[in-house]
Amino acid sequence: MFFRLLANSLARRMSRKLLAAFAVWVGISLILAFLAVSIDVGDKMNRELQAFGSNIRLEPVAASVPVRVGGHDVPSTAPPAYLEEGELVTLKRIFWKNNILGVVPRLWTRGKTEGREVPLLGVWFEHKIPVEGGEPFATGARRLYKHWKVEGSWPSDRPAGGRISSLVGDTLARKLGVRPGDAIRVTVPSGPATIAVDGIASTGGREDDAIILPLAAAQALAGREGKYSEADISALTTPENKLAEKYGQDPKSLTPAEYERWFCTPYPGSVAAEIQKSVPGSAARVVRKVSETQGAILTRIEGLMFLLAMLTLVACGLSVAGVLTSAVLERREEVALMQAIGASRESVLLLFLSEGAVLGLAGGLLAAATGSFLGQWLVRAVFGSEPELHPALAVLSPFLGLMIVLAGSIWPVWQALNQDTAAVLHGN
Amino acid sequence: MEEAAVAFTEVSKVYPGEVKALDRISLRIPRGEWVAVMGPSGSGKTTFLNLLDGLDRPTSGQVQLLGTNIADLAPAEAAVFRRENIGLVFQQFYLIPYLTVLENVMLAQYFHSMVDEGQALEMLESVGMGHRASHLPSQLSGGEQQRACIARALVNDPGIILADEPTGNLDEANEEKVFEIFRELHRGGKTIIVVTHDRVLGNLAQRRIVLNHGRIAEDTYNGNRAGECTASIVG
Repeated sequence: MFFRLLANSLARRMSRKLLAAFAVWVGISLILAFLAVSIDVGDKMNRELQAFGSNIRLEPVAASVPVRVGGHDVPSTAPPAYLEEGELVTLKRIFWKNNILGVVPRLWTRGKTEGREVPLLGVWFEHKIPVEGGEPFATGARRLYKHWKVEGSWPSDRPAGGRISSLVGDTLARKLGVRPGDAIRVTVPSGPATIAVDGIASTGGREDDAIILPLAAAQALAGREGKYSEADISALTTPENKLAEKYGQDPKSLTPAEYERWFCTPYPGSVAAEIQKSVPGSAARVVRKVSETQGAILTRIEGLMFLLAMLTLVACGLSVAGVLTSAVLERREEVALMQAIGASRESVLLLFLSEGAVLGLAGGLLAAATGSFLGQWLVRAVFGSEPELHPALAVLSPFLGLMIVLAGSIWPVWQALNQDTAAVLHGN
Repeated sequence: MEEAAVAFTEVSKVYPGEVKALDRISLRIPRGEWVAVMGPSGSGKTTFLNLLDGLDRPTSGQVQLLGTNIADLAPAEAAVFRRENIGLVFQQFYLIPYLTVLENVMLAQYFHSMVDEGQALEMLESVGMGHRASHLPSQLSGGEQQRACIARALVNDPGIILADEPTGNLDEANEEKVFEIFRELHRGGKTIIVVTHDRVLGNLAQRRIVLNHGRIAEDTYNGNRAGECTASIVG
């Protein structure tokens, strides 16, 4: 009889119930979409934030030792140290290889043109690192320094005809009066060289005063074949938390379990440590400003999306409660009748909550499909990339529907159960 | 003396604002009696009925039904007592609109104990509603709805039938059908207490109690005072 009651109630009084199920459906679809974006936002935004540049700097150990005299940093007097370009291939073999999004080795040297000394910077513009058993890893300045503004065209690492192509920093270009298409004659210790200007780069950094040329060309000019003096690395990382801060203050203060958790989480520090271990003679340090900015933005965006999901949950709960309250109020005579003919409060409660549960599950199941779809659409629209699938959210959806409807119906049903039955049935 | 179906002892009901709905009423209704409770609006009839079915509690005094002081029962106990012993008939019928007539009768069985479709159908046939068993309340006339309501009240074989203006919303032809059902029930030994404005129904009842300003203004058996009648029966 219980199921007969339930089925008839659901089948023969559809309008309000459909409205409640619709509210659950729309609400949970939005919640799932926001949660999907909230989960994806870390990964997607991290990739977007590459435009800020690298977040890890790799240097030779000797160059990374700070020299402080009287509390002031002074330039190191140690002879320039270099790292081996060939070792960079190991970056795609380490534990965090999938988190390495970009790498640009840099070699600084000097030359003379028009009687003035100019810095020369060798970089990879477009380079592919071979990956064992997979597609080569494409990287280079063009991918990593997305914030560089280039007038003209990006140079090629291997230009036709054996010429040397370059970008000239905009400050230096103004001083030299060069434009894209011009050529600069530079004298280096090994002799004179002609460098073609493919483009003028505005970088916002010290590259604005330099001639930026392919790494191989810079190595040849400096007589440092296969060497580089530093590398910028962009890695997908997780915003630092208290555990990462604790490690930063004193790595030895971590318990073995904390260390394992730190090691297995892609904090900027733990990724840098793994890189340093893989490149002999190197010191990897986190570029705090970039990492912290990225971390702060990610934390805020993740928080915002979660807050939106929670606000939607509350709004959905309130609208469902509104619909159910009016539905129950409409049926208060029915509740009174049931109580008058001897129904226990529990059996009336069970009937109404079961009805709510069916509506919540129905709305939740529908939302499992549409919420995922909406979330994927949002990710595509906002980030322009393929969204991840989150089966856990689809599983969560019916339960969420159930919880919302039960939470929304308990109060009105309880009110109906506590109404003055005599007044409803007989008047008073 | 045989245990009464209903015994009111010095029962008063005062609503907030010192509104006295019932004022120290005492009466005894033996089992098998058919009583009509009458009186003008505001006389206390509805309060009387609400105290009888245990949906309200007296301010003072005792309301005993079949030997149980219903005023002492907790709401859950009162619900159990109602489903075991009382059949309720309402002026507005209160049939569940999304259940068929048969299912409405079975609902009372469900809350009482076990559902028995055959017995529910028999009960509908006994009030002339067997042919309408599969209809929804909205497809029935007022008289048919009232007969379905009576079938629901009777299906658990209660000791007492409480009816609130059972003919209040019926035309003459349907009124007559309801009267006939009550006559049958009375012949079958049921205790019937009907609150009504209907003089015809009041005259059909074995005993008529008239309330006024919360007190018993008249208590008669077929035209005799109740005390005299009872005395003659006892004598």
